[in-house]
Amino acid sequence: MTREQIAETADFIARYLSYMLGAGVHTSRVVRNSKRLGNALGVDVAIHTSQKTAMLTVSDKDSNVLNTRVVDIPSFPISFEWNADLSALSWAAHDRKMTLEEVRREFDTLVSKPGMNPVFVLFMVSLANASFCRLFGGDIWAMLVTFTATMIGFFTRQHLTKKKVNHYIVFIVSAFVASICASTSLSLGIPTAEIALATSVLYLVPGVPLINGLIDITDGHIQTGISRIVNAFMLIVCIAIGLSITLILVKNSLL
Amino acid sequence: MIILDIISDGLFAAVAAMGFGSISGPPLRAFPYIAILAAAGHASRYCLMTFLGIDIVSASLVAAFIIGCGSVPFGKKVFCPMTVLYIPALLPMVPGTYAYKTVFSLIMFFQEISSPTKGNEYLQEMIFNGAVSFSVLFMLAVGATVPVFLLRERANSMTRGSKFI
Repeated sequence: MTREQIAETADFIARYLSYMLGAGVHTSRVVRNSKRLGNALGVDVAIHTSQKTAMLTVSDKDSNVLNTRVVDIPSFPISFEWNADLSALSWAAHDRKMTLEEVRREFDTLVSKPGMNPVFVLFMVSLANASFCRLFGGDIWAMLVTFTATMIGFFTRQHLTKKKVNHYIVFIVSAFVASICASTSLSLGIPTAEIALATSVLYLVPGVPLINGLIDITDGHIQTGISRIVNAFMLIVCIAIGLSITLILVKNSLL
Repeated sequence: MIILDIISDGLFAAVAAMGFGSISGPPLRAFPYIAILAAAGHASRYCLMTFLGIDIVSASLVAAFIIGCGSVPFGKKVFCPMTVLYIPALLPMVPGTYAYKTVFSLIMFFQEISSPTKGNEYLQEMIFNGAVSFSVLFMLAVGATVPVFLLRERANSMTRGSKFI
């Protein structure tokens, strides 16, 4: 392999790696898939990852040519679809002996697939939070309040995220909006109003990064795992701040 | 009546898993299996906690193990990595309420910092909630990952030969 070919391969694997890490795939899978992809393209890959950057060295098996990259990890929304598709791509490259050009073309079509319809997601999340309210013992009226509160809160979150507002502020504001909407259940005199108020912000809990962080820790990628958990913990602090603003406002009707 | 309780618990957990999962955009083909796994996991945790009186931490471990095992055949069927199926299925069991109560008790502790008895109560509550939320979360991740450790090779080739790319 020539020097240029190795550089080109390194470019592509760096892109593959950063997309996977950015879409919230746990570290050991990213490392395994990238090595498999490298193997299929005829190079050895060694990877070091951290929270915001990743480093990789690509080396040819025969000649002594090395190529090292440090890439920034872009912040994509979490996507399980990319996780499944890009993993399948690494196996396809391995089994079908695809060339770099073919793999790259396939990669581009996979990552340009449109995501889920935001209105559908909005409806699903509201429904999910309403059933959550039921699981915690809320009655049908509390479920309705939670459904509406979640819809308004999640709508706020979608729009603020689209406007590229800092994500901590997004979390505080949407937790506040959702809980202030749910606090109407107090004045409506619903018996399980506290449950509606408490579950209205649960759609914000960053469950995927929390579980991913712990998976990383059990896989031995302890540093990345801890940084994921700390990141998620910061978001939980923001949720609690947003909720406590509401609770302080409506404290009189709670006590 | 008991049967009805268990079924409705599973049903609502399935809806919650699909809804919270949809934020993270799983492939559409995975949705039915996420629902089945979430229902099985949450209903079994509900049974363990209500009828056998097992604590939330151990019950979560068992439920997560059931979800993890279920995601092996289902993952092979729809060509999805196991995590794509089991993370959304675990989401309804993530101890969100305990997690924000931890921070909330801390905030309340600052409010009552001058009163020694109330301040103590909030501090105690914070440690209680923090311990429960961390342990449950840890058990969820470990329980679901155990099948991956047991079947190294098989668990890592779920997407091999996928028809979907």
